[in-house]
Amino acid sequence: MDGTQTPDKSETDIWSEAGTTRVPFQVYQDADIYAQELKRIFYGSSWNYVGLECEIPEPGDYRRNFIGEREVLMIRKDDGGLSVVENRCAHRGAQLCQALSGNAGSAIMCPYHQWTYTLDGELTGMPFKRGINGKGGLNPDFDMKAHGLVTLRVESLNGVVFASFDHDVPELKEYLGPDMVKYFTRIFNGRGLRVVGYERQVIDCNWKLQMENLKDPYHAGILHLFLISFGLFRLDQESKCLVDDSKGHSVLMTAKGTEEGKEDTGGVRIAAPDFSLTDHELIQPRLEFPDNVTLSIQTLFPSIIIQAQCNTLATRQVIPKGPGSHELVWTFFGFEDDDDEMKDLRLRQANLMGSAGYVTLDDAEALEFSQVGLSGSPAGEAAVLEIGGTDCESNDHLVTESLIRGFYMRYRDIMGHGKAGA
Amino acid sequence: MTLRRIERLQLSYISAIDEGPLDNWPHFFTDKCLYTVVSRDNFDRGMELGVMRFESVGMLIDRATATQHAAVFAPRIIRHLLGPAMVDDTGEGYRSRCNVAIYQTSPDGDTMLLMTAIYNDLIVEQDGVLKFKEKRVIYDTHRIPDSIVYPL
Repeated sequence: MDGTQTPDKSETDIWSEAGTTRVPFQVYQDADIYAQELKRIFYGSSWNYVGLECEIPEPGDYRRNFIGEREVLMIRKDDGGLSVVENRCAHRGAQLCQALSGNAGSAIMCPYHQWTYTLDGELTGMPFKRGINGKGGLNPDFDMKAHGLVTLRVESLNGVVFASFDHDVPELKEYLGPDMVKYFTRIFNGRGLRVVGYERQVIDCNWKLQMENLKDPYHAGILHLFLISFGLFRLDQESKCLVDDSKGHSVLMTAKGTEEGKEDTGGVRIAAPDFSLTDHELIQPRLEFPDNVTLSIQTLFPSIIIQAQCNTLATRQVIPKGPGSHELVWTFFGFEDDDDEMKDLRLRQANLMGSAGYVTLDDAEALEFSQVGLSGSPAGEAAVLEIGGTDCESNDHLVTESLIRGFYMRYRDIMGHGKAGA
Repeated sequence: MTLRRIERLQLSYISAIDEGPLDNWPHFFTDKCLYTVVSRDNFDRGMELGVMRFESVGMLIDRATATQHAAVFAPRIIRHLLGPAMVDDTGEGYRSRCNVAIYQTSPDGDTMLLMTAIYNDLIVEQDGVLKFKEKRVIYDTHRIPDSIVYPL
C-alpha cells in the first residue's frame, strides 16, 4: 500500500469530527473517494476472498473472480498448490479466460495472439517469437521473465482461499487475528467442503452499505418482518457482537430458545403482522456445530461475509461496481460428508437467503432505499450511528451499531481520512 | 384439446402472479409438489440450489402470505411473456416446456428485463383439473438485477 501519500484536503475534511458516529454521505457516492478505496483497500494490504479450494479440485481448474474491479483467476496448479493471477494478458491486455470457471489444461493461453503462461503466470512462449525466415518477431533480448502475468499472494485457511495484491501483507492468520480465526474455524473446521450452489445479484448501492448491513443487528429484529411475524427471531435472544482488535472484522451470533415472555421493545410496538407457518418443514434446523448458536454472521474486512443461519451456510462476496452499485455473490456450501437429510435441509433453508430470500430480499431493498435516499445530499450531511453509544466495543446484546462504527475506524485509518481515534 | 387446456393453465398461472390475487398462486399446484427456481449456471453444474424451493402447497401459501404481508420492498409490476408450450404425454403426466421472459416495472415507471427462463413442468389431472406436480423455472439471467420478490 502507498503509505507515503498525503491525502488531499477534501478527503480529510469530509469527516466533521473524530470518531465514527457520523459517516459522511459522500463516502457512498463520491467517485474520487471510490477510486481511493480501490487503490488503498482492495489493491492495498488486504486479504480478499477469491473462492473455495473445492471449486478447483483438478490441476488446471480455474475460477474467475474480482478483487475490487480487477479480474483474477484462482488456479489449481499441477503440484496441487494454488495460484492467483490477474486475468489480463501481459501482451495487449486482453482478458485471458471468459468462462466463470473451467480447466486451462497445463497452461494459460491468451485467445488473441496465443501468448502462453504457466499456471503460475510465467510467460513461456508465443507464436512467431523469432518471426518468419528471420523477419519480424521479438528482439532476441526481449525479457520473457519480466512479462509474466500479475501474480497475487495466496493463502488458504481450511479450504477458503484469500489473495492479496500486496506481497508484503502480513500472514492471513495475523491479518484476521486470533478471535476471528476462532470463529472462522468454527465453521471451516477442516472438513472437506462442497458447493451447494451459487446466486448472484446486482444491488444498486455502495459496497460499504452491504457490509454495514451485516454489522447491524439492530435492523434484524425490525426490518425482517418474516422473521418477526413468524416468530423466528427476536432482539432479546441470547447474543454476542464481537469486534476484533483492528475493529474492521466482526462476528454477530444469536442462540435461540433462551428468551422468555414478551420482548421488551421499550413500549414501541414493531409494526409486524402475526402469522404462523403453514408448513414448518422450512424451519426445522439440525444442530451441526458444538454450541446452540443458530445464527452467526462473520464479516471480514474489506468485503466477505460468512453466514451460518440454521443449516444454510454461505460466503457472500461483495464486489464493488462503481460508487453506487455492487454485486453480491453467494456461494452456498456444505460438507463433503453431509448425509442426504442434511443435503435436503441446506436446499430447503436456502429459501431464507439469496436474491429471493425471505430474509435477505428485505436487505437488498432497504439498501437501495439508502442509496437513493442519500444520493445528491449536500456536503456535511452524514449518517447518525449512535445506537448503543459511541464506542466500537464488543457487546452481549443486539441493539447496537458498534460494529459499523468499528468498520469505519479501520476505514478512516486506511483511507487517510483524518485520525479516527483522535 | 389437451394443448389448449395446458396453454390456458399456463396463462391463468402467470395471470395470478401478474394481476393477482397472489393467494390463488399456490392452488395451481398439487398438495405435494416441487416448485424450484434454479439458475442455468447451477443447473448446468448439476446443482439443485434454487432461489426458491417449495415442496408442498403449504410452503407456497407461506410464500404468498409473506410476500403480501411480511416483506419490505418497493412496489413493482411484474409481467410474464410466454412462448408456446412443447408438450409430451409421459404417462405420469404431461411434460410441458416453454420459454418465458419476465419484465419488472419500478414505481418510477422504468421497465427492465428481470430474466429470461424456461418453464419445465410436469402437469397432472386431479379431479378434472390440471395442476402442476412440478414446476422448474430454470433462468438464464444468473446475475439478478436487485431482488426476486414475486414468484416466477
